[in-house]
Amino acid sequence: MTTVDWLVLVLTLLGIISYGLYKSRTTHNLEGYFLSNRSMPWGLILLSIIGTQASAITFISAPGQAYTDGMRFVQYYFGLPLAMVVICIAFVPIFNRLKVYTAYEYLENRFDGKTRTLTSFLFLLQRGLSTGISVFAPSIILSSLLGWNIYWTNILMGGLLIIYTMSGGARAVAYTQQLQMVIIFAGMFLATYMVVRMLPEGVGFMDALHISGKLGKLNVITTGVTKNGFNWSDQYNLWSGIIGGFFLALSYFGADQSQVGRYLTAKSVAESRVGLLMNGLVKVPMQFLILLIGALVFTFYQFNSAPVFFNDTQIARIEQSPLRDSFHVAEKAFEKIGQQKKESVTAFSQALHAGDEVQLAAVTDELRFLQKGADSLRTKVKNWINSSQVGGDGNDTNYIFLRFVLDYLPPGLVGLLIAIIFLASWGSIAAAINSLASCSMIDFHRRFSRKQIEPQQEYALSKWYTLGWGVFCIVVAMFTYNIGNSLIEAVNVLGSLFYGVILGVFLVAFFLKNIKSGTAVFWAAALAELIVLTFFALSKYKVLSLGFLWLNPIGAISVILFALLLQPLFSKKENPV
Amino acid sequence: MQEDSKVPLFKKWSHWYFFVIGMLVLLIALFYLFTKQFS
Repeated sequence: MTTVDWLVLVLTLLGIISYGLYKSRTTHNLEGYFLSNRSMPWGLILLSIIGTQASAITFISAPGQAYTDGMRFVQYYFGLPLAMVVICIAFVPIFNRLKVYTAYEYLENRFDGKTRTLTSFLFLLQRGLSTGISVFAPSIILSSLLGWNIYWTNILMGGLLIIYTMSGGARAVAYTQQLQMVIIFAGMFLATYMVVRMLPEGVGFMDALHISGKLGKLNVITTGVTKNGFNWSDQYNLWSGIIGGFFLALSYFGADQSQVGRYLTAKSVAESRVGLLMNGLVKVPMQFLILLIGALVFTFYQFNSAPVFFNDTQIARIEQSPLRDSFHVAEKAFEKIGQQKKESVTAFSQALHAGDEVQLAAVTDELRFLQKGADSLRTKVKNWINSSQVGGDGNDTNYIFLRFVLDYLPPGLVGLLIAIIFLASWGSIAAAINSLASCSMIDFHRRFSRKQIEPQQEYALSKWYTLGWGVFCIVVAMFTYNIGNSLIEAVNVLGSLFYGVILGVFLVAFFLKNIKSGTAVFWAAALAELIVLTFFALSKYKVLSLGFLWLNPIGAISVILFALLLQPLFSKKENPV
Repeated sequence: MQEDSKVPLFKKWSHWYFFVIGMLVLLIALFYLFTKQFS
C-alpha cells in the first residue's frame, strides 16, 4: 500500500469513530442505550438493517463466489422479501404492543421464563461465535494479502468500533452504519467502474457480460434439477433460495436480536415496516450488483494473466513442500492456457461486434474448452494445497477480489477499498455486540440478579456488557483457525444450526394459539436442536447429502411438530383435572 | 414506538406486501431472462 492509501484508510476510520462518538449522546437509561428512545425514521432503519447483515465478508466473498461459481449465490436471498412481509404482519405489531427490549422477552409473556432463557441463550451462543468469525474473516485475508500481523489486525478489526458502540449504544451504531453504507456503496461503484474501464479498448460492459455469460458465470437462476432428479446437496438454487432462504431470513430478521434490535429503535410501527419492506426491495438487486463485480473481474482476467491460485500465503506453503515441482509444471500450463484464452476472447469480442454467428459459436466452444482446462488445473492446485503434504487451505474465494484490488487499482482507491472492509465489518459487529449486551442485560442480568439497581447504574452496566462482548468476539477471532470454505458460508452454516429452532419457537408463539405449555415448547426446542445437529453431523460425514439451508426449515418444522405432540402431555401435568 | 394507522405511499399495508412480492417475482423473471440471454 502506498502513503496515499494509508492516508485514505486512516482518515476514513478516524472519521467514522469521531462521527460515532459525536452521535453518542443519548438518555442515560436502557431505553436510550439499547433502543435510541424509539425515535429512528425508516431510512436509518433500512441502512442499519442492511449494514448489520452486510459484513466485510459480503463484499469480499461475494465477488469471489461469482468468479468461481457464478452469480447463482444471489438466489440465497430470494426468500428474504417474503420473510420481510411475514415479519411486518406477525412480528412487528406484537413486539411493539409489548414494548419489548429483546425478541425473547415476548416468549416469557407467551410461554414461560425457561423458554425465554433457552432461546436467548441459543442466540448468545450463536451470535457470539459468528461475530468472532466476522472479526477473523476479514482480518485473516488482510493479514495474508498485506503481511499484517493477524493478532493486531483482529484487535483493530474488532476493537476500534467498541469505542463508539460502548459510548453511544444503538444510536451510535445506527448513525455510523448510515455513513458506512454511503462510503461502501461509493467505493464499490468506483471499483466496478474501474474494472470496466480497464478492459481492452473496444471491449465494453455488454461484451464483458457476454464473455462471462458464455463461460457460465452469469448463471443467476438455476433449478437444482439434474437428470437424476432434484439435487438436495446443491447449496444455491431457486428452490433452496426461496424455501430455505425464507426460513433463514425469517429467523434472522424475526428472532435474532442483532436485527430485531435495529427495527425496535423505530419511532413508529409504520417506520419499522417501511424500513423492513424497503430492505425486501433493495437487498436482492444489491446482492446481484455485488456479484456482478465478480463476474466482471472474471472477464478482466480473461484479457490479463490470472494467478493459478489467489492466496500467496498458500503458494508459499506449496513452494516449501515436495509438490513444488508439480506445482511449477501446473503453473506453466495455466499460463499457457491464459495466453490462448486471451487470443480466443479477443476473437470472441471481434466476432460479437461483427455479428458473425458461425465464428462466435466456434470461438465460444474453444473458450469453454480452454476454461475447462484452466478450471481443472486450479482444482489440481487446490487439492495439492489441501493435501497432507502441504496442509494448507485450498480455498481462495475470499482472496480473488482483494488480490485484484491490490494488483490493479490505482493508489487511493486501494486504501478506500481496504477501509470499506473495515467499515463493513464494523457495521455488523457493532450491531451484534450491542444486541449481545442487550440480551445479557435484559434477558439475564435483570432477571437473575438479586440486587436492585437504578436506571443510571443499569446504563453503566450495559456499557460494560458491550465491552465484555467486544472482547469476547476478539478472543474467538484469535482462536479461529482455518474454518475453510467460503467464510460467508461458515457464518451462514453456524447460523443455520440454531436459527431454525429459534424461529420454530416464535412460529409456535405467533401462530399456534392452542399451545400454551412453556414446558412443551422448551422440550420441543431442545429435541429439535438435537435433530438439526444430527442432520448436520450426518451431512458433514457424508452419510447424507443435504445443503445447509435446509437445516432452517428442518429446525423450525421440528419444533412445531414436537410442540404439537408434547402439548397434550404437559398441559395435563400443568393443569391437572 | 407509536402504533399508527397511517400507511405511507399506499392505501393499505396489504398493497405494500403485494408490491414487495410482485417485485420479487419480476426480479426472478428478469434474472431468468438475463441468464438465458448471456449463457
